[in-house]
Amino acid sequence: MVERRKVEIPEGKKVKVSVGEEDFPFEISPMFEGERIRKGDMFVELAGPKTVGFELVISLPPDQVEDMKATLVGIDVDEMEEGGRYPFAMIYYIAGEKIDPDIESVVERRNHEFQNYIEGYMHINSRDTIWIRIGKNLMKKGLKSLLQIAKATMLLYKNEMPFIEKIEALYITDRELIEKLLNELARPIYEERDARVEKLHDEDVEEFYSCSLCQSFAPTHVCIISPDRPALCGAITWFDARAAAKIDPEGPNRPVPKGDCIDPIGGEYSGVNEFAKQESGGAVERVKIHSFFDAPHTSCGCFEAIGFYMPEVDGIGFVHRGYPNPAPNGLPFSTMAGQTGGGKQMVGFLGVGLAYFRSKKFLQADGGWYRVVWMPKELKEKFLKYIPEEMRDKIATEEDAKTIDELKEFLKRVDHPVVKGVVRPVDGKRITEGWVEEREEEEVEEEEEEKEERREEKVPSLPKVTPLAQPTAPTIKLVIKNAKIYIDKIIVRKVEEEKTKR
Amino acid sequence: MVVVAVTGKGGTGKTAVAALLVKFISERTPNVLAVDADPDANLADALGVEVERTLGDVRELFQVTRESLGTVDKESWLEGKIFEVIHEFDRFDLLVMGRPEGEGCYCFVNNLLRGILKKFMRHYDHVIVDCEAGLEHFSRKTIEGADYVVVVTDTSRKGLKTAKKIRDLVRELGLNFEEIFLVGNKVGSEEAKRVIKEFAEREGFVLLELLPYDERVVELDLRGEPVVNLPEDSEFARKVRLIADVLVGWCR
Repeated sequence: MVERRKVEIPEGKKVKVSVGEEDFPFEISPMFEGERIRKGDMFVELAGPKTVGFELVISLPPDQVEDMKATLVGIDVDEMEEGGRYPFAMIYYIAGEKIDPDIESVVERRNHEFQNYIEGYMHINSRDTIWIRIGKNLMKKGLKSLLQIAKATMLLYKNEMPFIEKIEALYITDRELIEKLLNELARPIYEERDARVEKLHDEDVEEFYSCSLCQSFAPTHVCIISPDRPALCGAITWFDARAAAKIDPEGPNRPVPKGDCIDPIGGEYSGVNEFAKQESGGAVERVKIHSFFDAPHTSCGCFEAIGFYMPEVDGIGFVHRGYPNPAPNGLPFSTMAGQTGGGKQMVGFLGVGLAYFRSKKFLQADGGWYRVVWMPKELKEKFLKYIPEEMRDKIATEEDAKTIDELKEFLKRVDHPVVKGVVRPVDGKRITEGWVEEREEEEVEEEEEEKEERREEKVPSLPKVTPLAQPTAPTIKLVIKNAKIYIDKIIVRKVEEEKTKR
Repeated sequence: MVVVAVTGKGGTGKTAVAALLVKFISERTPNVLAVDADPDANLADALGVEVERTLGDVRELFQVTRESLGTVDKESWLEGKIFEVIHEFDRFDLLVMGRPEGEGCYCFVNNLLRGILKKFMRHYDHVIVDCEAGLEHFSRKTIEGADYVVVVTDTSRKGLKTAKKIRDLVRELGLNFEEIFLVGNKVGSEEAKRVIKEFAEREGFVLLELLPYDERVVELDLRGEPVVNLPEDSEFARKVRLIADVLVGWCR
């Protein structure tokens, strides 16, 4: 991890310090957000696409931070020429009990917002693409130093983010120092933060986040976004949701405390269940975020890909939005999407975001990639490096199989785990039985004494099959030969009665 | 901030009207934003300026880049790009909305856009929006609402029918407008004038002006020249100037 330390100001640089209070000749208010300083009204431009600059927040131990101190290295506004463009960097040191490197980017993001509250000052972008304009109006009002800007910003920080106990600012207009720090401190930290995205997991965090942005399309749908399960629309990661929730806790993204972990493999948490129950108005009571079959996550309809179960092969296929042809089950994306959307928990279908394919917990409860039997070539190639090596040649694409029969042939040929029985990698448990050898006839008998709900092991079961009604008369024999059955209704009649009718 | 939406069936001359309104309003007040919200964008040409990128381009760029943004804050990334897409000219700024949505989910990006556009637009005194009859950006609320809706029609049956549909749509969308105006264009004969006046009265529009069919507008278009080059003493230009005065004055 990049070491967090205070910047040492090299000898011989022009330094200005302000420790006490400053007065602000300018107004500070959210109403100045979005205020555009046009080229003609501009006094100077700082940073921006034609020169260098960056902004950075780093966390330090409290004894290293001098609260509300602001330091400027390099020239100040009183030495700048009207119409000029100058390099500019802003570093904030923060300290507090709840402060750690993880919170840095959330705090850094707000520099943009707060600085825009300053009348006559415009801040665009973030990180090393910041772009600032100081208006002539601000100079006319009496701006004497960039330190006044620093102080105003720090005050806003302390006001709006009370967990920041101490904050200190270092502003730099010296090009040499800016370039040095950009390469040695800022960029490595940005990269480290981005890399962290891949390394953070569900168990590392205290809370997940919700997103209800598409509730206008599906009132009972709420996405639960965790580090291992990003939003199914593909737009929001756990980090985005966290940042949004910090800014507007009552907005579309809110924190969801995990609570107790009920099932670490399927991803079920008591806090999440509570939240789901509340937000869906009771429609959804339990959610397992890494499960296909048990309490699957709901969707609104804008998922990027949809998983579908094929009982004939006891495997899961995926198809992405934009794939034009039907999947081996004969259904195109749009039809399946219609089944899954609208905020219902539909066992047998699951809408996901493409980023979920990269997750280490991808469909963990059901065997992950070892249960996937088919996906379009385009999709498979995109995520090839996330598929375990041994499975790469065993997952069929439209080039290997277009129908269920072709798929069966293929899977048998490559000896896909679903054929013999899937052992899920996360705990080594065998979770499916494998295909049963086909016999000429398959008989299913129901007897009086038998229990009502007897799952059929002989034929791979379809989800949500209505249990057969109990006959009260002599035994009924159902003979099923080599068929794929979807039963809407079964009518059971006494054999004698049958003869007299029709 | 006052938002004026100029709309009407394609071909009725709404872009010419919108462009001249931008010209005349920006002569009277500073801080004018022209918005081309028609997917078939030609407001820039009518104004005689060039635009490099549109909001639609930025939105599509976001949809494809968002995965690789890592922990960069998406909102400020988008805001920065939109800042660049609002083109600054002498008297006014121009934002071209560009292409409509592609496939996929736009909930998140539209939600961000709403907030960003609201923030930027607030700082203009007048926002003039050239939009197609479907009013897409208003229905999606990427532009929050219009104070005044100016419906441009000619005397064709289709033009009038569309004008009526727009009026109904505006009400349906709950745009919270103050007034819906009607402007008749390419009005030649007395008969034509009568048709439009009666239509306005019957359908409850406030009729602003009846613009003549002006050969010079057609010629400029033919030569590929901006309509704002129309001589200011032409009847067409004079009347649009009167409309501009009404709009600026109405707001006070």
